[in-house]
Amino acid sequence: MSQSFSTALAVGACKAVRAALRVLHRGGTTLPGKVAMKIDSNILEKVSAGMDIIVVTGTNGKTTTCNMLSHALESSGRPTLANRSGANLLPGVTAEFTSNATASGHPKKKFAVIECDEAALKQVVSKIHPKVIAVTNLFRDQLDRYGEVMHTRDEIKKGIELCPDAVLCLNADDSLVVSLAYQVPNKVVYYGIDIPVGRQENAEISDARYCIRCGAEYEYDYHTYAHLGGFRCPKCGYSRPAADMAVTDILRQDMSGSTIRFRFGKESEEVRIGLPAVYNIYNAAAALAAYTAAGFDRKEIITSLSDVHSSFGRLETFDLDGTKVQMILVKNPAGCNQALSYVAGADTDYAAVFCLNDRTADGHDISWIWDADFESVCGDEHLKRVYVTGDRAEDMLLRLKYADLGGREYEVIHSQEELISRMKQSRIPVFVLPNYTAMLSLRAELGKITGRAGFWEG
Amino acid sequence: MDTLKICHLYPEVLNLYGDRGNIRCLTQRLAWRGMKAEVTRVGIGDSDPLTDYDLFFSGGGQDFEQEVLLKDLAAGKGDNIRAAVEDGKVFLCICGGYQMMGNYYETSDGVRCDFLGAVDFYTKGGEKRMIGNYAFELGTESGGSTVVGFENHSGRTYLGSGVTPLGHVLKGCGNNGNDGTEGVRYRNVFGCYSHGPVLPKNPAFSDELIRDAFQRKTGTRPELEPLDDTVELLAHDTVLERVLNGTAGKEE
Ligand SMILES: [Zn+2]
Repeated sequence: MSQSFSTALAVGACKAVRAALRVLHRGGTTLPGKVAMKIDSNILEKVSAGMDIIVVTGTNGKTTTCNMLSHALESSGRPTLANRSGANLLPGVTAEFTSNATASGHPKKKFAVIECDEAALKQVVSKIHPKVIAVTNLFRDQLDRYGEVMHTRDEIKKGIELCPDAVLCLNADDSLVVSLAYQVPNKVVYYGIDIPVGRQENAEISDARYCIRCGAEYEYDYHTYAHLGGFRCPKCGYSRPAADMAVTDILRQDMSGSTIRFRFGKESEEVRIGLPAVYNIYNAAAALAAYTAAGFDRKEIITSLSDVHSSFGRLETFDLDGTKVQMILVKNPAGCNQALSYVAGADTDYAAVFCLNDRTADGHDISWIWDADFESVCGDEHLKRVYVTGDRAEDMLLRLKYADLGGREYEVIHSQEELISRMKQSRIPVFVLPNYTAMLSLRAELGKITGRAGFWEG
Repeated sequence: MDTLKICHLYPEVLNLYGDRGNIRCLTQRLAWRGMKAEVTRVGIGDSDPLTDYDLFFSGGGQDFEQEVLLKDLAAGKGDNIRAAVEDGKVFLCICGGYQMMGNYYETSDGVRCDFLGAVDFYTKGGEKRMIGNYAFELGTESGGSTVVGFENHSGRTYLGSGVTPLGHVLKGCGNNGNDGTEGVRYRNVFGCYSHGPVLPKNPAFSDELIRDAFQRKTGTRPELEPLDDTVELLAHDTVLERVLNGTAGKEE
């Protein structure tokens, strides 16, 4: 086969498989990519050639940060390719680029914002040559897949080493992320939060308690959340670098978003983020830094952040026959704690649905629920009713028993249909906290009922 | 008399996979019966003689942090732990905390790392991780109940002649994936690979530990007031069924 013929064939096959899967109402996020790679192993490099690409990786916040970046690019008139679906492994990314190429395999768009799985980074970036790589944070996640957080950090490092020309956008508050800049030639832009946030105490469970260089226990000038904050090693001096861009003040926080003051170098501006909760302040900081590091005008992203949409299943709100249902994806203790403290901050009565699956994409090990602070929600008097569902609903219920359900009514529901009918009947708002595969199936059903698009329809 | 003094060993390093839920479980099961637990965290740099405790717990950890820990053990805590073991104190040791009680760990490329040697067994690094929900049956000396949990280890553990396995694997890998054993029982040391955390949904095992600790403390084995374990047993039975029929962690 000639090169150009195999490229065209790969593009055609990818599009055909994707179209067929959509007719079958399947997401179709990875199979088309696998087919294209089989026909032309170098297809991704061709269909992304010459594009300006920002890649976002890290444990939590990838999807929302990407969403903020692509929203800014789109609203300022730059059509942007993005893997919104959460298909963030090599086949998924390949499918996204390939099906957005011309028949002869040339990119149709100039810009792309790509969310990339930590372990897949090295495979993806070697093909798409990003201009900017942003890293959000590193927490324990899906442990049975990666083993441990240091391993995940090393996987990201391998990816970075393949891209000496990319600008690194690193979270200055995360000692594990900062260590990625060690002995690489890349230009680095550090972003972070310059001020204490929340309760100022050492977390009982920390994913990075000891200095990555010398093993001494870190001291903190201030905390933001989990192991993030103003860390400092008393022994070897490894410490939080001065942030080039940072949140210097949190002016207002409510259910619809946060208003912050953000410093770009020496100048600072007020920024409204149209999504609530502290972790979205971090996501916005990552997006603001990556956007400017990629050479775009900061005014554009500041404007677009105020009306950024929640991404799929992440603080997404549905109106279900008059019941307000808000879905918050939770995947690991750090993210879950943030979601729980957001829920516990509600100022009206509510019901909560905890959905726990243990499938491959979730991580088979669900014991992390014992490291998450369900006590914050169970201790909140506004929590009136509890539903548990999913493959491991019974484990979830036991965890909640320990968090103390008090005299609250609770129910284990295994049928999604029944769960949705309970939510419809609810006269109080419902918070739904699913992990990944539980979110996918529940989101699909809620989307269908409320006429909201499925993720593959973008 | 109705208080158990619990020592959480190295809570700042040996704390992976929700293992601290085990301390939570012991404390809560005592509290539900109107009894008390006093939990003390003894970490790196603490020079507690360890003579005052009835029950010790250590969980799993990350390899990265192991070096810090070995130094601390060598600085004196190792001797104290060995003495407490010989004194018949109750130990629940999970995964990394379990391996640490043995003689040594040998990596797959032959590098040997000396551990506590408090219990006669050793662990060898393997290529393939043994991961998944699993179940084992405790030996009669440990109550004989069925335990469900989640194992995640690449080390393969082989027991010495003077010690017995904690139980026998019903489904899963256990100590080494070959001989059908899981964990170790030596005097009052209970070591195993089970995360989960193991105690909350295995209430019979939890109460066994509590009874043993009181027996060692007071000389008589207490009758424990029965608790409403409906939710516990629901979680236990649901997972056990899925483990035994091979559907745990599978798409439906
Ligand atoms: Zn240091």
